[in-house]
Amino acid sequence: MSRKTKQAKRNQKPTLIPMRVQVVLFFVCLLFGALVARAAYIQIIEPGKLRHESDMRSLRTTSNEVQRGLITDRNGEMLAVSVPVKAVYADPKRVFDHDGFKPGNDKRWQALADVLHLDEADMVARIKRNPKSRFTYLKRQVTPEVGEYIKQLKLKGISLREESRRYYPSGEITAQVVGITNIDDVGIEGIEKTYNDWLTGSPSKQKVRKSRDGKVVERLGVVQEGEKPNDLVLSIDQRIQSLAYRELKKATELNQATGGSVVVLDVHSGEILAMVNTPSYNPNSRDQLQSFRMRNRAVTDTFEPGSTLKPFVVAAALQAGVVKSDELIPTSPGWMRIGGRQVRDAVNYGDMSLAKILVKSSNVGVSKLALSMPVEQLLGTYYSMGLGSQSGSDLTGENSGLIRERYRWSDFERATLSFGYGLTATTLQLARMYATLGSGGLLKPVSILKMKTPPEGERVLSADVAEDVMHMLVGVTEKGGTARKAHIEGYPVAGKTGTSRKAIAGGYGDDYWALFAGVAPVNNPRLAIAVVVNDPKGDRYYGGDVAGPVFANVMSGALQMLNVEPVTQREQLQLASVKGRAE
Amino acid sequence: MSKSQLNLTRIVLLDLWHHKWLCLLALTVVLNAVAVVYASHVNRQQISKWDQLLQQRDRLDIEWRNLLLEEQAQTEHSKITRIATKELGMHRPAPSEEVVVRVP
Repeated sequence: MSRKTKQAKRNQKPTLIPMRVQVVLFFVCLLFGALVARAAYIQIIEPGKLRHESDMRSLRTTSNEVQRGLITDRNGEMLAVSVPVKAVYADPKRVFDHDGFKPGNDKRWQALADVLHLDEADMVARIKRNPKSRFTYLKRQVTPEVGEYIKQLKLKGISLREESRRYYPSGEITAQVVGITNIDDVGIEGIEKTYNDWLTGSPSKQKVRKSRDGKVVERLGVVQEGEKPNDLVLSIDQRIQSLAYRELKKATELNQATGGSVVVLDVHSGEILAMVNTPSYNPNSRDQLQSFRMRNRAVTDTFEPGSTLKPFVVAAALQAGVVKSDELIPTSPGWMRIGGRQVRDAVNYGDMSLAKILVKSSNVGVSKLALSMPVEQLLGTYYSMGLGSQSGSDLTGENSGLIRERYRWSDFERATLSFGYGLTATTLQLARMYATLGSGGLLKPVSILKMKTPPEGERVLSADVAEDVMHMLVGVTEKGGTARKAHIEGYPVAGKTGTSRKAIAGGYGDDYWALFAGVAPVNNPRLAIAVVVNDPKGDRYYGGDVAGPVFANVMSGALQMLNVEPVTQREQLQLASVKGRAE
Repeated sequence: MSKSQLNLTRIVLLDLWHHKWLCLLALTVVLNAVAVVYASHVNRQQISKWDQLLQQRDRLDIEWRNLLLEEQAQTEHSKITRIATKELGMHRPAPSEEVVVRVP
C-alpha cells in the first residue's frame, strides 16, 4: 500500500505545460470579460429599458379623494355632511370584448339590475345600444355596500367610481339658508353656492411603488398637490332655527297663508341666529326642487313694510328735533285730508303722546310727524338703517328693496312713506332695523357666518332716541295695544305690528302681508325678530293676530335657550315708570 | 519528509493573519451589504404600515361621517321635543317658574 503511493507520487510530479495554462486563462478571462461587459451594458450604457419594464410592473399613481367641507351651526351641529358613495358605470366595449352577455352570465346581470333598482331589459339595452362606446353611467350615488356587492359579481366592463353625496341632517328647517349641491358636488343654492370654493377641496395625487401583493412599499413624491376642503361655521343656532320653523309652519298652515319668513338677529353682533321660510323642501331628495320652495324668501321677497316702519318715523322726528318725547300730537278728528286724499285712523284718538301713536298705530299721528320734517330727513333715516341696500350677509339672491329716488314728493306721498307704503323691504332688513333700535342706534353689518368678535357698527340714531322709542313700543304688546298676542311673560317686548295691503295693478288689492317685528328684552336687548306671513286667508289677517303669536313663541323660547334672565317684578315696575314718563 | 510536509491549515491561517486588515474590510463590506438589504426591507415594511394606517384613517373618517349623520338624525330637535313632551310628560317652564341662580 505504502509502496504504491510513493510510486504514484513520483509519477505525479507536477509539470507546467504553458500552452494549456494560457488557453485556460484566455477562456476564463474571456468569460469574465463577457460578463463584465454585459453588466456594464445593462447598468451604464442602456439602463432605461429594464428600469422601464420594472416601473411598468410596480409604479402606480394613487389619488386621495377628499370630501366637501362640513357646514355646522354655531354650536357645532351638523347642517351638511358629505359621505363617500360609488357611481356605477359600464364600459360597453369592454363588456363585448369579454363576451359579457354569454348565456352563463344571465343571473349576474339580473342581480346587478336588482341591486341597482333598474329594469334589467332597459339596463342591458343601454349597454348594447352602442357597443363601441366606452362610458355610460348605470346609477350614481349608490352606497359602498352595494358597490362591494357589484364588485363581487365580477362582471367585466362594469366598474365603480368614487364620488360623494351630501346629506342635510336638518332637512327642510335650514334648507334655503344652507342651499344644496348638484349631483356633481357643486353648490348651486344658498351657502353651498356662495362659499363653494371655500368648501371644495381637490384630491392630491401621489406616485407610489407597490409590491407584488399590492402593498405600498415606496412613496415617490406628490404628482399633484391637493387642496384641503375647509369647514364652515354658520351663525345659525339650530335650536332657535328649529323652533322658528316649527312656529312659522304652524302659523302658515293655520292661516292658510302662501308662505312666510322669520329672521332672528343677535342685536349685539348682527349675526343671523335663525332664518326660516315656508314652504320649504327636503334637500335630501331631489323631487321637491321647485323654485317657490327653494327661494330664501327672507332675503329675496320684498313687501311694503306698512306700520312696522312707524317707530322709525318717530325716531327720525326725535332725531331731527321737530318733536319732543313728551309732546302731545293732536289727531282729532281721526282723519286728515292731504292733497285731496284722506288719511284716517280707526277711531278718533284725540291728542296723543308719541307712545300712544305707536301703541294705537295712528296713521294721522305719524303723517303729521312726517309732514313736520323734510322728506330727506325721513328717507335718510330709512336709508341709514339699511333699507334700500344689501345687508352684507352674502346670501344668494338678496334683494335690496326699493326706495324711489325723486326730486318732488307730494304731501300725500310723504304721509304714505311714514306708514310704510311706497317703498319695499325684505324680512332681513326689517329685523335689522329693529336690531339697530335694540343696540342703541348702532347699525351692524349682518353676518351668516359665526363671528369671533362683534363688529363695531355705525351710529345712525343717538342712544337716547333709540332708548326712548324702544320704551314707547313696550305698550304695543300690553293691554290696549295692537298685539296682545305678542306679549311674553317675563320679557318686556318692544315690537310693532304691521298689516300691509298688496299692491296690484292700479291700486291695492284685498291680499295682505301680516307683519310683526320687535326686540326683547327691552331692559337689555338681545334678539330682534321679524315675522312676515304672506297672504293669510283666514278671517284674521292682522299682523298682531297672525304674526304676533309666532313672534311671542319664538322670542320667549329663544331667550330661554340663550339663558337670558327674566325680568323681576322690581325691574318691571321701573320699566312701567319709564313708560309712564314717555306717555 | 516532515519538513516537506506542510500544514495547510496553518499556512491558510498565517496567510489570513498576514492580510488581517484586508479580511476585516471584506467582512465589513459583506456585513454592510446585508445591513443595507435589511434596512431597506424594514423601510418598506414601515411604509407599507404607514399606508395601511392612512387607509385606516380614511375608513375611520367615513365611519365618523356616517355616525355624525346618525347622531343628527337621533338628536333632531323636534324629535327630542316630542319625546320630552309626549313620553316623558315634560314641559318648558314659563319665565315665572324659572329660578335664577347667580354664579358669584
